[in-house]
Amino acid sequence: MLKVKIIKKRREMTVRVALQLEAGSSLALFGASGTGKSTVLACIAGIEDPDEGAVQWGGLQLFPPALPLHRRPIGYLTQEPGLFPHLTVSENIRFGVAGNHAAHGDDEQERWLATLRDRLQLVPLWHAPAARISGGQARRVSLARMMARKPPLVLLDEPFAGLDRQLVRELIDDLLLWQKSLGFTMIAVDHQAEVLQRLCPQEAMVLEAGEVVQHGSWDELYRAPATPLLRSLLAPL
Amino acid sequence: MTISRRWLPRTVAGLFALALLYPFTGLLARIGPWQWDETVRRPALSSVRVSVLLTGLAMAIIVLIGTPVAAYIARSKPGERLFWQAVLLLPILLPPLALGILLTLAFGPHGTVGASLERLGIILTNTPAAFVTTQVYVGMGYYVLGAVAAFDAVPTMLQKQAALLGVPPWRVFLRVTLPLSRLGLAVALSIAWVRAIGEFGAVVVTAYYPSGMPVQLWVNLESFGLPAVMPLLVVFLAASLPLPWLVHVLAQRRRHA
Repeated sequence: MLKVKIIKKRREMTVRVALQLEAGSSLALFGASGTGKSTVLACIAGIEDPDEGAVQWGGLQLFPPALPLHRRPIGYLTQEPGLFPHLTVSENIRFGVAGNHAAHGDDEQERWLATLRDRLQLVPLWHAPAARISGGQARRVSLARMMARKPPLVLLDEPFAGLDRQLVRELIDDLLLWQKSLGFTMIAVDHQAEVLQRLCPQEAMVLEAGEVVQHGSWDELYRAPATPLLRSLLAPL
Repeated sequence: MTISRRWLPRTVAGLFALALLYPFTGLLARIGPWQWDETVRRPALSSVRVSVLLTGLAMAIIVLIGTPVAAYIARSKPGERLFWQAVLLLPILLPPLALGILLTLAFGPHGTVGASLERLGIILTNTPAAFVTTQVYVGMGYYVLGAVAAFDAVPTMLQKQAALLGVPPWRVFLRVTLPLSRLGLAVALSIAWVRAIGEFGAVVVTAYYPSGMPVQLWVNLESFGLPAVMPLLVVFLAASLPLPWLVHVLAQRRRHA
């Protein structure tokens, strides 16, 4: 189970969030831009340290004290693919597994990498320099890189922003398929309700100015939105 | 239109290069036949050997010590960085002659460290060790300041992403930070090399012997005059330019590979 209780002071607001998530389930963090959603994910991932609070994953204390990033069982995908430009696509994907001697040369690991490569249509790019692929391709590579390690906790910070609908649909389908087969826990952040509803259909938490204003099912959110802003965000165009 | 746009900056750049290289026309000055007989050649070639080998050793020490120090400074908070920048600037701000005097006082037989080292048989005046020590002091600040800037240019988020893939910090440094900063590190190293191999003021105080090229130039000027300086100057350029230039070529080639 993931237990999060954080306070993070920003110049423009203070982010206060408490949440608990059963292993294998998913949660959508929803709200307008600049409401502190990404801050919550960054604090769980360890990219930033909360000012107060605690983050626990099962029996593992992530904060405080801050657990070093490389010991966190977390996959973190952001809007920026963050590929290593001096490496090829395959080197990027193998980055987190190549140094793992237990996994190196392991048939199961190689089969999993081949699955990712085929499913995400990376065969023609496999040996291409990461610096020379398109933005959409880079997102697919960064998803493969994150999934290569089969992280038990997956954090998605608007990873589909700016991509065409067809690609977004495919990537979401892939993620849902892998969540079902691998059983990872997932928190996704976006300001588009339709993306989040498809990705995390069970549960959503809504943030406004750093505070949680509503937490429940998507049905509850649509039936009785807690604030006028939320009503507006959920309204059809 | 395109031609005229390129013509102007090219001309300005050309004039800049001409101005920078103008002093080298001194090599064509009418000073009579150059002197390159045995009395000049033997010590000249010996000085080339001293300069290239001992400066190379100093660069190895600078890279080994300076790179992790630069990585540490690049990650430190602004206040601590200012402290480190002052520490690094001090030795390179001093007039070289003053640095040489201070090094002799500190590492000579009357300095605390110098006296202790002498008891262990390590003499840091007029020895190869003194030459290398001086080169390290002369070049370290240039290398570390350049290396800090090179590490700063690597996006922090990329390094954090690498760590979140389960890779420990030292491997992130080797596999992400170092490759992405190699061009900046190459520039820093070449500046340190150029600065150290051409050093005269400090070396003439701490290590007159073994004579490196700058000291030998001075000796030639004093003993034989300009005709014995010019050939050594050509040898100096031929010996000291290839390494930093090669480092640049390699770094750029890999960057565009």
